[in-house]
Amino acid sequence: MQSGFIRKGVNILGKYLEVTKTYMKTQLVWRADVILNMVFTVTKIIFAYLLWKMVFQQREMVGEFTFHGMMSYYIISSFLSQLEMSEGIGREIHERIRNGTFSKYLIIPVGIEKYFMAMELGIVLFYVVFDFIAAMVWVFIFRIQFVFAADNGVIVCAVVMAVLGMVFMVQLHYFLGLLTLKYQGIGTFLMIKNNLMALVTGTIIPLALFPEGIVKMMRLLPFYYVIYLPAMLLSGKCEEEAWTGLAAIVCWCLVMQFIIHGTWKKYLRKYDGVGI
Amino acid sequence: MKKNDKRSGKKAKTDINVNRKRTIKKNMCVLRELFYLRMHGLMVFRLDFLAPFFVDGSLFVIQLLAFGAVYSHVDVIGGWGRGEMILYIGTFSLLNAVNMTVYFFGVNSIPYKVRSGELDLYLSKPVSPLFRLTFENISPGSVPLILMSLCIVAYGICTLRMPLTLPVVISYGFWVLVMTVLYYELEVVIRSVSLYVVSMARLEQIEEAGLELCMKLPGIAFYGVYKVIFYLILPYGIMATLPVQSMIGEMNLQTAAYGIGVVALFTAVTAALWTQGLKHYNSASS
Repeated sequence: MQSGFIRKGVNILGKYLEVTKTYMKTQLVWRADVILNMVFTVTKIIFAYLLWKMVFQQREMVGEFTFHGMMSYYIISSFLSQLEMSEGIGREIHERIRNGTFSKYLIIPVGIEKYFMAMELGIVLFYVVFDFIAAMVWVFIFRIQFVFAADNGVIVCAVVMAVLGMVFMVQLHYFLGLLTLKYQGIGTFLMIKNNLMALVTGTIIPLALFPEGIVKMMRLLPFYYVIYLPAMLLSGKCEEEAWTGLAAIVCWCLVMQFIIHGTWKKYLRKYDGVGI
Repeated sequence: MKKNDKRSGKKAKTDINVNRKRTIKKNMCVLRELFYLRMHGLMVFRLDFLAPFFVDGSLFVIQLLAFGAVYSHVDVIGGWGRGEMILYIGTFSLLNAVNMTVYFFGVNSIPYKVRSGELDLYLSKPVSPLFRLTFENISPGSVPLILMSLCIVAYGICTLRMPLTLPVVISYGFWVLVMTVLYYELEVVIRSVSLYVVSMARLEQIEEAGLELCMKLPGIAFYGVYKVIFYLILPYGIMATLPVQSMIGEMNLQTAAYGIGVVALFTAVTAALWTQGLKHYNSASS
């Protein structure tokens, strides 16, 4: 009885593992994309380097950052934001619902959301090595005295938080994609969302530079825990927020799962399979 | 004999003038028709009408917020205070708004039209293909973006508390116009490459990355190799910097001459690349 249950679990896992493996292999086809993905991380670093070099010419500290602390934050946040590639999920669902080919996902014997999770995992696992190499190269080229967290507990906490942050982003994009069932066209909304995300995830500037009131408000949002807090933790800051942050992102993942469940149940009946 | 020569010379001059007037008149008629066609298309998809305004508007508002946060910790960055930076963001937004309103959607479709062979239709019409491509997708929905940009520029001027004189306004307007031309030429140059190569997605990515960087960072921040790249090879760095410098009185004759020189250079490159590119065009699937 127990072995049958385990076998079933392994079968289910194996199914999604195949999806992950397939998407990992698929990335090999687009080799130029891999290289460019690595190269383009440099634009964020150049922006940070030139801007903060000018700023730090007149002072030694900005907020709680030194120049090298600031650059370390940008290197880590750029690495994490480069790994966050779930935006394509929303667009894929949007396109497929609009042209009627979403039926593909209704037919194949997998859970659609889990399928996208496995797909994202495959892509991220492939890119993680290359993005890590790119980050190391930028540290070397820009001669950054890299500041990194010393506490192992905090490091583990930050890594888990970053992974959960990516899970949340997959959920968010899946949910946004499903909204096409109701609103038909969400392309514009997705573009506005991208602009907002750059600010609220702290990839343009660290959220710590905003007034305290705004930072408190940001803490209520899930995006604070997706890139900003893991990057801060890994660069040795905000250590007191590690465990509460982890709890917050877990809660947000659960809330998002409930929202997805409700949206799926409510709007799937609107899908007619012939396109809009 | 001499009298006859003089008369025929005068006649030839008059003919050229008449032809030029006719061409301008014809182009104006074409422009009007293209505008009507575009409006007709936009009214079919009404929801998309204001999309460029919301997308690009949010982008520049976020820029303002981000630099507002930075300036709450520092007074000046590279000699520029909060006012100059607001002016810079407003100017870049203005250039982008004019780009989105007038020519972006037209020019952006060039690679697709080359790939699909649709460019044939443009070559066979009795009007310049580039003229039609440039103006056929005017986006009236982006006009509010121009107004928003002007508001940001006005906010920057208020923050600077600078007296606004007519020469300053004329000089700023002149540089915005010149840089709009440069922006257009850069877009055409990059998309003209599609006439020579099969895929140019990478080049568009480079363009996007360069624009994104220079949108956030004024030209005064660049030095060394960065200056060579963003002042000469991909001169996005001077696009909003020069109009701002002309307004705040930081522009000298050398900078002005350099700006004009770069635009002249890119005008020549654009013309050559487009004309030669059309010769490479092999109709469908080129």
